[in-house]
Amino acid sequence: MDMLELSEIALRVIIGTLCVAAFGIIFGLLYKGIDRKLSAHMQGRIGPPIIQPFRDVRKLFTKENVVPENAIPWIFNLVPMVGLVATISILIYLPIGGFPPIISWAGDLILILYLLLIPSLALVIGGFSSGSPYAIVGAQREMATMIAYEFPLAIVIITFAWKLGYKLNIANTFSLATIVGAPVWNNITGPLGFIGFAILLLVLVIVTPAELSKIPFDAPEAETEIAGGLLVEYSGRNLAMFYLTDGVKTVVMASIIVVLFFPYNISNMLGLESYPAYTVDILFYLLKVFLVILFSVTLIRVAIARLKIDQIVYTYWIPLTLMSLIGLILVMWDGTITSLLGLT
Amino acid sequence: MFTIETGSGFWNPIIWVAAMVIAFLVTYILRSFGNKSYKKNTEQTKVFLSGNPEYQKEKMHVKADNLYWGFTESLKGFYSLLKKVHTGNTGDYILWFVIILAIFFIVEVI
Repeated sequence: MDMLELSEIALRVIIGTLCVAAFGIIFGLLYKGIDRKLSAHMQGRIGPPIIQPFRDVRKLFTKENVVPENAIPWIFNLVPMVGLVATISILIYLPIGGFPPIISWAGDLILILYLLLIPSLALVIGGFSSGSPYAIVGAQREMATMIAYEFPLAIVIITFAWKLGYKLNIANTFSLATIVGAPVWNNITGPLGFIGFAILLLVLVIVTPAELSKIPFDAPEAETEIAGGLLVEYSGRNLAMFYLTDGVKTVVMASIIVVLFFPYNISNMLGLESYPAYTVDILFYLLKVFLVILFSVTLIRVAIARLKIDQIVYTYWIPLTLMSLIGLILVMWDGTITSLLGLT
Repeated sequence: MFTIETGSGFWNPIIWVAAMVIAFLVTYILRSFGNKSYKKNTEQTKVFLSGNPEYQKEKMHVKADNLYWGFTESLKGFYSLLKKVHTGNTGDYILWFVIILAIFFIVEVI
């Protein structure tokens, strides 16, 4: 690798990270505002203006940054930043706005799964370091929730790898560029495959609110029960960091669903090229992310009440794990009906 | 360079660390715009307990095994079965080991 290539990579990483950080924070807050507005309308309320999350962050920055006397100050102050840093770093591996990932060759879907754990772990460590009984109960619940939803999530990812690697014989099955290049719906050969992937999509949509600690899976925070749980002692700029992390992570989770299940652009269909094509694809991507957030966050949190932690574990380990296993088996059996009927 | 490849996936830790450093700088600068002051050693720094008094630190401790309650409660049928089997007798465990080995052997032969 010569100096020119090295400097190009360095430039790409620096500018790319700055751009995705700005994109993630701005659109994360914007989608948060839209989610709050829509959920308010669904509950017969007017709701706050869409730009309210931006005002919330600005206000939090002006508030005092209290460090409780029982806390471990350096951990208490550091982890809110760690959560946001890890979430921003995921965005550089994801195809955004119809463009390929900034560094598609430097990380795959397994890396993203591991990186997704860091913001949740930051919350857990922050909760434990607060020295508050409410925060410790919240941190324990967050850990239990993480252990619960990882299992069905892993099965969804493995199904994609199996389909691409074993069935379609494609190399680098965990690569997001590979997944985007071979959309699942284009590679199913019968009804079983379609039903299987539809089930896996549903599983991922139900995993998303737990990843984001949204109702009905917000037992770790549970304002009415443990006064905000892991975040009870956080205030000011530290709380603002967690607030921003939540917004960016919402974009990340929605983007993962878009990449896995809807990696399509419409500029080709419209016969567009150059800048008009980029504009249309970016707008289409933003629309897809919005729709995913609408179904996986807004509708679910408006329709369902908060679950207890044992109900959360049960939901993920029994019905959702079984659903994802059924989805995996149906994808494995894809094409058997058509081949039995002699249609292939 | 320095990319770890498994055939199915890949990861470059150097690039990830570089991205993390830049993202950390962005976050740090953003955080520095916030107010960093607070009133030390005042009521403000007391733990929030919904107005209840704070007892001795040792008495406020939340046990670590609470973490498992969600699992033991939601899967209590399974755990009650396991508890019956978990006798603490080494002979029983060796018996289970032999039974499982025998099942594997029979499956392999078939």
